[in-house]
Amino acid sequence: MTTEQTINIEIDGRFFQARPEMTILEVARREGIPIPTLCHHDALEPVGACRLCLVEISHPNWKGWKGLVTACLYPVEEGLRVSTGNEEVRKARRTVLDLLLARCPTSAVIRKLAAEHGVTATSYKENEVETTCILCGLCVRVCAEKGCNAIGTSGRGIEKAISIPFKQPPPDCIGCASCAHICPTDTIRYRDEDGVRKIWGHSFPMVKCTSCGQPIMPEKQLEFEVAKSGLSAEYFQTCPACSRKKTVTTIRTAFDMSAIESVEVSG
Amino acid sequence: MLKTLTITPSRCIACRTCEMSCAFKHAGSSGLGVARIQAFMIGEGQNQLLTCFQCAEAACVKVCPVNALSRNEQTDAIEVDEARCIGCGLCAIACPFGHMGQDGRVGVAIKCDLCGGEPACAAFCPTKALEYK
Repeated sequence: MTTEQTINIEIDGRFFQARPEMTILEVARREGIPIPTLCHHDALEPVGACRLCLVEISHPNWKGWKGLVTACLYPVEEGLRVSTGNEEVRKARRTVLDLLLARCPTSAVIRKLAAEHGVTATSYKENEVETTCILCGLCVRVCAEKGCNAIGTSGRGIEKAISIPFKQPPPDCIGCASCAHICPTDTIRYRDEDGVRKIWGHSFPMVKCTSCGQPIMPEKQLEFEVAKSGLSAEYFQTCPACSRKKTVTTIRTAFDMSAIESVEVSG
Repeated sequence: MLKTLTITPSRCIACRTCEMSCAFKHAGSSGLGVARIQAFMIGEGQNQLLTCFQCAEAACVKVCPVNALSRNEQTDAIEVDEARCIGCGLCAIACPFGHMGQDGRVGVAIKCDLCGGEPACAAFCPTKALEYK
């Protein structure tokens, strides 16, 4: 029998064990050591886009060499020494936030985060184009994870943007709004109005709850979910509140409540 | 053998202690909106408790786009990995029993996880309407 390999690393003077496939961020989060992030989400592949999780690494074998790396991407290795909050790291993080603040001076999320790190105003020229998008790419990644690939990035450098093909409502979008839910700066918005979901230039008619008539999800999403999960459409046609009511009444009518001794509900 | 959360409706007095202990255990608050169990008063001294059935073929697990829901082999409960959950709410729609909730404060799915094998609701139920045995 093989024993699972463990890696010993040091974070801020404390020693931890980790599995070889873990990143510095994963170990730090497990141990409750705070490292700020904007573009990270546990469900998605890390990309190191926001640079906020920069930490300093060194190693006894590296003859004094140290460097800044993104904690979300850097894999742990035996003997690695990590510093998550020394002056060098704090300075780098302030620079990142200074730049983010220059790009998105109106973003409440960025302003709050920057202020927490002591940056109250940007030292660079403020972006003239109003945006709160930090180009973290979470929306693009979650859309790909969902299996739609409806949105992407376009352009390079200062022209880089989250965009939709040919500036037309993206044909592969199903209106699930996962991009809006995951956006860390609340840049992507959607509106449900009169049984229609408006997102990315689309107006998706929505499926209504068979009991109460509340809109549940876009009809196009329903088709997608049925095909993906293999469940019948009925699963998606009742809203959670009505499902709960249905369960109560079903149990009540199916059994004579006073006669039954007990119901096993789980395990 | 795996323990089972057992509900005996005839003993339930709808005091909602289960909801409160659940909310405290999971969210450190008495806000019943975050409780994973609900007590319903359906009249005539007949009350009903609703919580996740931990379905063998669970719809919530099937629809989750990011695999944030998985079964804990020790307790047989389906648990939410809150760090993975993207808050899309699909599990709540797909659950045919309406047992999935959403924690509005942090935007993640919530459900009964049997407290990892020590369900607070059963421990606090004063009338043994809820038992874990």
